[in-house]
Amino acid sequence: MTRMWRHVAGVSALLCSKSGFTGSVIMVFLTLSRWIRNRGPDRYWKVQELLKSARHFRGRKNRCYSLAVRAVRRAFVYASKARKTKRHSMRQLWIQRIAAASREQHMKYPALIHNLLKCSVQLNRRALCDLCISEPRSFKALAALACARRTEGFRAALGDGSHPPGVFSRITQPITAQHG
Amino acid sequence: MSSFSRSAQQWATFARSWFLIDARMQPPGKIASVCSVRLQGKHKPIYHPLSDIGDHVVVMNTRHIAFSGNKWEQKVYSSHTGYPGSFKQLTAAQMHKKDPTAIIKLAVYGMLPKNLTRRTMMQRLHLFPDDVLPDDILRNLTEELPQPREIPRKLSEYTQEERDAFPMLWTPCTFLDGCFAGPHTADIQSDL
Repeated sequence: MTRMWRHVAGVSALLCSKSGFTGSVIMVFLTLSRWIRNRGPDRYWKVQELLKSARHFRGRKNRCYSLAVRAVRRAFVYASKARKTKRHSMRQLWIQRIAAASREQHMKYPALIHNLLKCSVQLNRRALCDLCISEPRSFKALAALACARRTEGFRAALGDGSHPPGVFSRITQPITAQHG
Repeated sequence: MSSFSRSAQQWATFARSWFLIDARMQPPGKIASVCSVRLQGKHKPIYHPLSDIGDHVVVMNTRHIAFSGNKWEQKVYSSHTGYPGSFKQLTAAQMHKKDPTAIIKLAVYGMLPKNLTRRTMMQRLHLFPDDVLPDDILRNLTEELPQPREIPRKLSEYTQEERDAFPMLWTPCTFLDGCFAGPHTADIQSDL
């Protein structure tokens, strides 16, 4: 901003002495009007946009801009961090529920998951959790399948070659015939 | 279950059960872990920590619990009220004599999650030192849980047939027959 100065005659001695000028002139800023800064026409709407994220807060944080700015920033940071923990806690809840349901079927959670994996049943924990809540008989069948796969080695070594009832397996012939 | 109406199915799913455990000759820690699982509702597939779906657990015969090892003399329960000079330490035996339900109560309290729901869950735990239960609790009981530890039988509780059928590696010398006498020693010397 260029400053336009103009030397004006008819000076007041007091002004000169105050400003420290020894000369007989006084400067007037002709660009005074330029110093009135217009910071932007839409401050109101920007403030309202921020406050709308703070309306459910407690205290003055939901009304006063400077307090709300800090609170809203924290809230957004917590929300960002929580997206990862939400996935983590949902998986944890699924595992707890599947463990409870498998204990109802006389199996433990690690045994169930490992044996379903061995049977190449690719149901993830979310699907297993939904099944165990809303489709208990399907879950019971899955638990029976896992139990059969778990005891397959024992039955081959010690059993009489018969399959547990109600479990389909890829072994179509009796186990003794394979060894024989 | 599929023949229930929706409201009946909901009632059956979310109803609070009353479980009974007999703590006679059981380790109190194992009893406590079973209790804590049921009190939190972790035995149900609909579990959620905020749902308050825990059940009631009634433990009887808490007077007759059995610590393994030397814990009756070695396990120490400490407490401090905050005032100077009020640090108290009690062995498990002293604590049990003072209050026969305290050991299991403290064990369950320590196994529950450390949040505000813990006190509510403890209110749903009912401990009785003997097998005398009040009528209103007896009427509420729905299921008895199996004991966590299989109680070993004393030798006198085995029948003679079971004792004979037990596989023996060698015949032990019963000193009641007075086998220090001559004929036995003569046999040993002849073997050597």
